[in-house]
Amino acid sequence: MRRSLVLSLASGMLLVAAATAPAVAQDTLKIGAPQPMTGPDAPFGDKFKKAYGMAAEEINAKGGVNGKKIEVIIDDHQAKNALAATVAEKLITQTKVLVLTGGRASGQAVEIASVAQRLKTPYVVDHPSADIITSKGFEWVFRNNPTGSIYPQAFNKFITEVPGAMPKSAAVVYDNTVFGKTIANSALTFLKSKNVPIVNDEAYPVNSLDFKPVMTKVKASNPDFLLMVAVATTDAILLTKHAKEIGVAPRAFVGFGGGFGVEDLAKELGPQSQNVFSSAAWSGNPNDPAAKEFYKKFHDKYGIWPKEHEVEGYAIIYVLADALRRSSLTGNLDADREAIRQALLKTDMTTVFGKVKFGNWAGPLGDKYTNQNIYSPDHSVLAQWLDGKLMNVWPKANAETNYVFPDNTVKR
Amino acid sequence: METFVQSLVSGVLTGSLYAMIGVGLTVVFGVMRIINLAHGDLVMLGMYGAFWSHVLWRIDPFVSLLLWVPLMFLGGMLIYRFLLRSIIPGGELNTLLYTAGLSLLIANLALFSWTGDYRTIKLPYAITPLRPFGIAVPIPLALAFVLAAAITLALYLFLARTDLGRAIRATSQNAEAAALMGIDIGRVAMVTFGLGSALAGAAGVLLGPSLYLYPTVGEILIAKCFVIVVLGGLGSVAGAIAGGILLGLVESLGAVYVSVAYKDTIGFVIFLLVLLFRPSGLFGVGKS
Repeated sequence: MRRSLVLSLASGMLLVAAATAPAVAQDTLKIGAPQPMTGPDAPFGDKFKKAYGMAAEEINAKGGVNGKKIEVIIDDHQAKNALAATVAEKLITQTKVLVLTGGRASGQAVEIASVAQRLKTPYVVDHPSADIITSKGFEWVFRNNPTGSIYPQAFNKFITEVPGAMPKSAAVVYDNTVFGKTIANSALTFLKSKNVPIVNDEAYPVNSLDFKPVMTKVKASNPDFLLMVAVATTDAILLTKHAKEIGVAPRAFVGFGGGFGVEDLAKELGPQSQNVFSSAAWSGNPNDPAAKEFYKKFHDKYGIWPKEHEVEGYAIIYVLADALRRSSLTGNLDADREAIRQALLKTDMTTVFGKVKFGNWAGPLGDKYTNQNIYSPDHSVLAQWLDGKLMNVWPKANAETNYVFPDNTVKR
Repeated sequence: METFVQSLVSGVLTGSLYAMIGVGLTVVFGVMRIINLAHGDLVMLGMYGAFWSHVLWRIDPFVSLLLWVPLMFLGGMLIYRFLLRSIIPGGELNTLLYTAGLSLLIANLALFSWTGDYRTIKLPYAITPLRPFGIAVPIPLALAFVLAAAITLALYLFLARTDLGRAIRATSQNAEAAALMGIDIGRVAMVTFGLGSALAGAAGVLLGPSLYLYPTVGEILIAKCFVIVVLGGLGSVAGAIAGGILLGLVESLGAVYVSVAYKDTIGFVIFLLVLLFRPSGLFGVGKS
């Protein structure tokens, strides 16, 4: 008896929810964002959720977009590529969002991009970086952040411009995701063009629990530089930890990718993070007052200092709001999505992330980009973990402090 | 040569922990014919146990075994008594689905209460590894190896020498006959599930300082776990130990001499070969 009462109550509530949902929906401009809210990448989903939330609140507090409030709807893809496609399709066809963003990692974003292209819905990428996302000629896909092959640019500048920094040999260890392979390919192409011998070229399965075997192999070839690519923070932490435990002793440990640029690396590794480089698409320009103000605002609200991911998530909502403001929406989904796409093509603004204008151009490896932010190459920065803080060290114009090179924590 | 010895050492150290996770799963299967999909999540609980007792009460994770092993034993018995017992007569498919649900429940409760943040147990003595003859031996992993060996040996003696151990083995061989001989198989099942959970918890506590932890880490562990127990033969304790060490060695040597990219592939290829040519496992006690 009691059970059936509970059941009927529950189904009754579902009915009420279903009946009220469409009415609420018409009043807001819906932005869909597939993100990993559970699973190994959950901390990243949370970063974007906070960033989107803050931007949407600010915009809505100032009256929203043309009198309507914007609403960011996050759906969980658990960092699984196949699920990302399902979730994107659900957001487009059932939740009826006007535009998509998010995705978190390249593997998932590639899937979302294909769905968005097929269902003619604009997808504005905020963080996933594999070149392929904007080099397939998809006219419905846009990207604000730099591509993977741009990530190593600051590192390339560093080894070219700093006297004696050109590696005598290099070991490259990367994860077998779309992201890992893109970045490794870009770094390898540059090193080979400078005739640097590649002593290890190793792809590992993403989310590995044990890197001691691969580091044993790397140690045997005694590289001058150790380059590590990790999309997952856990991989970045363990790669560094196990390399140091096994006793790999290069002149520089260089990390590429999300995992090496987040606070967790220093928090979990402690002194083992000292002097590890992170060549990233964006590390923030400390001399920029807009970035400083955003950092403070974010810290006041959530009690954590934002980094690349939060800045990207926050900025993308402003890019979308700007495009929504410039498009005349009729209530016909197909026509509205096309209007937003046209508006995005004319985007020309500055966010806390930097300048943005979408265009078609060729990347450092010759990929032909469609709707890729034309200012991307200016964004790459080389940073270094020093006493638990990630400090920009190269190019000189963006440097916060002097670099430490060669690494003085390892015995060679 | 140094590279080879290093790979052997890393392989055996990691393998001993794999073995311990495998033994817990295999004991439960042997007695109750339950494939416990929540086993990886019980390991995760052990890891968090070690983490929290270290952070909150400054207890060394290896000392915290004394606290968490009995607690996990008790917890396992309670899970059996109040959640599993009534579902067992429903057959193997039902218990499989049930433990899969249990796994999701535990992982998501952990996600809910402890967030998805990655955590590591930071021990001052874990930073610099021992380097006998130039071979790197991380101290937490070496300690875990010694304790895992001791616990596995204790379990072995318990099963071989005590009355309750004999009752467990008898039930494992033939539950009906055991019941006819006056063994309370309900009680044996409860103790066995407690034992399996305690082993999972102990493995978690020992793994904690060497890995990072997050609520869904169980997923990775359970996949390895199945390879281990099937390699050795489902239900065989000695088989799970051999399977665990074999998998550790294969992964370690495979990564160095073939390629890291194929590390997991090699493990699964051996797994398939064993299934093909020795379907009852290397130790030949498993039942199809």
